[in-house]
Amino acid sequence: MKLLVFVLNNEEFLEEVLEAYVEAGVTGATILDSEGMGRFLAYEVPLFAAFKEFMKGNKPYNKTILSVVKDMQTVDRVRKLVDPLIGGLDNGGTGIMFTVPVDWVSGLVPEEEEV
Amino acid sequence: MEGICNRLAPRCVLLDVQEQDLKQIIRTMVTALTAEVPVSDPDRLVREVMAREQLSSTCIGNGCAIPHAHSDTVHTSLIVAARLATAVTLDTPDGLPVSLVFLLVGPARRAMAHLKLLSKLARILHDEESRKSLRAATSADEFLGAICKGEMNG
Repeated sequence: MKLLVFVLNNEEFLEEVLEAYVEAGVTGATILDSEGMGRFLAYEVPLFAAFKEFMKGNKPYNKTILSVVKDMQTVDRVRKLVDPLIGGLDNGGTGIMFTVPVDWVSGLVPEEEEV
Repeated sequence: MEGICNRLAPRCVLLDVQEQDLKQIIRTMVTALTAEVPVSDPDRLVREVMAREQLSSTCIGNGCAIPHAHSDTVHTSLIVAARLATAVTLDTPDGLPVSLVFLLVGPARRAMAHLKLLSKLARILHDEESRKSLRAATSADEFLGAICKGEMNG
């Protein structure tokens, strides 16, 4: 099993991204409101206030989607569907997707029961 | 990796500076900078640093401040350090008067390099041992050595 983490920079794509997740076979995920480091530094730390202009164009807030998936095939399906939706993960600033191994889990709802 | 040590020349380490007004302190630091490298318009550089101060204070607490500016009056990122003879009262997060001032200037097109240097300076000055060494330094070389040591520890 894998923990699939996707930091989606443009929140406008959230709905379509989640649709892609479902289509790819990911039926459960947790969505967190998150914030880029650049925005926090430029707006919350006075020392870095002059870098607001430098950060311009970056999305200040983003969404982090966490989902436990059973295998890499599922991850591949998610990536293939999500990639064109958000403008290509290889194009900087669209988002970051990665996995980490999950060696134990409890509380997962069986796929057929998830919404 | 951007380094503090190679951006801070010994002649740009000013110990026991007498000025008590921030603008005067900045002016003294810019004058030291112009003796080291070409600065196309020193007065403009002072104005740009002070304009940045108007945005929000660059005091980071524990008696330290890092005034800075993006400026086209310089071609590369440079640092000037001043240890004040008497700490001055500025807009600080902890209310402590400021005695260690580091001026960082660099061209706007090198914003990321500037950001890294600023972060590195802040890290060094957040370290109590580094601040003690800087306050105890008896020469510019010793002061510079303390900065380099702080940088190496990161």
